Amino acid sequence: MTLRTPPCSLFRWRPDQQWEGYLFILPSFLGFLIFIVLAVLMSLGISFSTWGLTGFRGVAGLANYQQLWRDPVFWQAFGNTAFYIVTIVPMQLALGLTMAVGLNQAIRGVTLYRLIYFMPVVTTIVAGAIVFRLLLSTNGPVNQWLAALFGALDIPFTPPNWLGSSQFSKWSVVILTLWKNTGFTMVVYLAALQGVPKELYDAAHTDGANAWQRFRHVTLPLISPTTFFLFIFQMIGAFQLFTEPFVMTQGGPANSSLSVVQYIYLAAFRDIRMDKAAAMAWVLFVFIFAFTLLQNFMQKRWVYYESE
Amino acid sequence: MQLKGKIGIGLILLVFAVSLSACAGVAPQAAAPGAPAAGEAVTITWAFWGSPEEKASHERVAAAFMKEHPEIKIDIWHQPWNDYFTKIQALWASGDPKVIPDVAFLWPTPRYAAEGVLENLDPYIEASGYDLNDYWPGLLESAKYQGSVYGLPRDIEVNIIYYNKDMFDAAGVPYPSEDWTWDDFLAAAEKLTQKDANGMTTVYALAAEGGKWPKWVNQNGGAIFDDYVNPSKCLLTEPASVGGIQFFADLMNNGYAMRPADLNQAGGDAAVFMSSQAAMILQNTSRVSAFNAAGMNYDVAPAPIPAGGKRWNGAGGAAWVMSSASDNKDAAWTFIRWLQSDGGGQTIYTQAGEIFPALQSVANSPAFMTDQPPANKQAIIIEAGASDVGGFGYFPEWGELSGSIIGPGLDLIWAGEVDVETGLTNICAQVDQFLAERGYPK
Repeated sequence: MTLRTPPCSLFRWRPDQQWEGYLFILPSFLGFLIFIVLAVLMSLGISFSTWGLTGFRGVAGLANYQQLWRDPVFWQAFGNTAFYIVTIVPMQLALGLTMAVGLNQAIRGVTLYRLIYFMPVVTTIVAGAIVFRLLLSTNGPVNQWLAALFGALDIPFTPPNWLGSSQFSKWSVVILTLWKNTGFTMVVYLAALQGVPKELYDAAHTDGANAWQRFRHVTLPLISPTTFFLFIFQMIGAFQLFTEPFVMTQGGPANSSLSVVQYIYLAAFRDIRMDKAAAMAWVLFVFIFAFTLLQNFMQKRWVYYESE
Repeated sequence: MQLKGKIGIGLILLVFAVSLSACAGVAPQAAAPGAPAAGEAVTITWAFWGSPEEKASHERVAAAFMKEHPEIKIDIWHQPWNDYFTKIQALWASGDPKVIPDVAFLWPTPRYAAEGVLENLDPYIEASGYDLNDYWPGLLESAKYQGSVYGLPRDIEVNIIYYNKDMFDAAGVPYPSEDWTWDDFLAAAEKLTQKDANGMTTVYALAAEGGKWPKWVNQNGGAIFDDYVNPSKCLLTEPASVGGIQFFADLMNNGYAMRPADLNQAGGDAAVFMSSQAAMILQNTSRVSAFNAAGMNYDVAPAPIPAGGKRWNGAGGAAWVMSSASDNKDAAWTFIRWLQSDGGGQTIYTQAGEIFPALQSVANSPAFMTDQPPANKQAIIIEAGASDVGGFGYFPEWGELSGSIIGPGLDLIWAGEVDVETGLTNICAQVDQFLAERGYPK
């Protein structure tokens, strides 16, 4: 086909050329159809069947979901995941914003600092977990430092068993996750901060607003769309937490740090219960979907879009 | 990434195939191969996991077999432990005999037999007159499903006490005797344990993985279930079972034994034994080669038993199985049978120091009775002779039950977060609910 270039033809709707467009998206669309849509629909079907290693064995109806409802380990994993969400998401936002504000100043070597704070994001999580397991071990540096601190303050102190007790294991996963992901939050916030028009600060300054007031009433509203994006993004990430507990505590002790996705993995590949795993994945999906919808609805109250 | 690589290879192969078929049109027909010769070797695929060292010894075994059986060629399918099970599950799920391994190393056998991917070996055993009596007592139960043999265990896990002779000498404690009791053990533990000014243990008498608990329970006359194939009830709350768990928990609570979580953080029992942080470990024979290589001054002893108790060793070990989708079942059986024979695979693995053999005849042969340490090999034979069921369930859902309920429940006891009675009551309540929900007893 020859390429004619009359003025504006590039942007004009030309029904006779549609098939070329479909041809261009065909490869990735086929991939999407087979590896995403088909897999998702299959998993929905599997969750209502009895499904083992070799495939379909019968219709189960709601039996897999009923079994989940009565499974204490599933609820424990759900509780743990809820704990991860309510700790990791706000802490990561607060830490990331603090770091971004700090690194948005004109200080010497700021690029180097940004690089250092971003480094964990590109570090292999397994390597990070090994280091943190050493740091958090019973006689490790963290506990020695805490003991020295409390000793200096004359407060009686029993070093926490970060990895081996059910009270602290979730916290060690939280610490690893914060270390790993806060750099990403920081970078996104940095970009948002640099998009805040300087005139607004100048105007606020002229009106007599102090530094805190400028931050509270200029910066925060203007970066609220970014906060909203990060909030949703991290909430979904925390719902789907897998690698961090898997490499840090293996979900133990006593399932105290087991996440839902980890339990899905165990059901599928340890217990060969593809049906139960699929059912859990769908329950998780419904929760994530509902929470995201809720946030989307709530955003009118606190997210400020300049164009509105 | 893995997938992308495979697609890449697939594309290259596709291009290759296309170019070859394009050539076929013009190439002379003379090059076409004739029908396979009558005596041509059949090929079977053999799947196993293992470290590079273990792989090397598997390869020696395959070579020795092919020398004896030139009519069968062995293709090796090897994966590291972490990937092995997901990958072999994917192969079985495909149902394609061309990719499914004919013979595989597997644990736990009943789980996979229930999925229908394994061949029932009973007819082959009967037809070839293969002798099952040479196996250690109770061992074959771990490879049975619905009463039939679906796998032949390669080795048997025999848990014994390894002790550091130098540390015993330094503490003035006599070496363990063959018939020592829990009380003797406690007396020795008290002398071997060293604590700092705050009462924190610096040197432990014992380091044992949490998973070793069934020994104490069964020695004390306790049990996990009323029936290990078709359970109806959790028996861990019975006094004898509680006593066994209590013995182990007390060792930890008194600072004599390392808590499993601490042991894990310290690098495992071999590491703490070699660095003299623990005077004894309770472990299977897999540590021998490491301790010999390190030149340690150690020996082994049977585990201590309670007064009025019995000697007990959990009978279990990974087994060779045959895929029900295998297209060379007779050759696969010839290979499995050779693997599990005195003078065949059993002897080669045993000589390599890699296993304690599943066959009693091989254990009592020069292949095992070498002059390498440990000196007291009789201790291992004694414990192996007391092998029995009782360490785990033989029903398909056992892995889920132990991994999600029993193991995590015991974690709380080992960490000292709940007392033994409460912890076991909670476990049994959940186990009974689990069994009822899965329709047990069936």
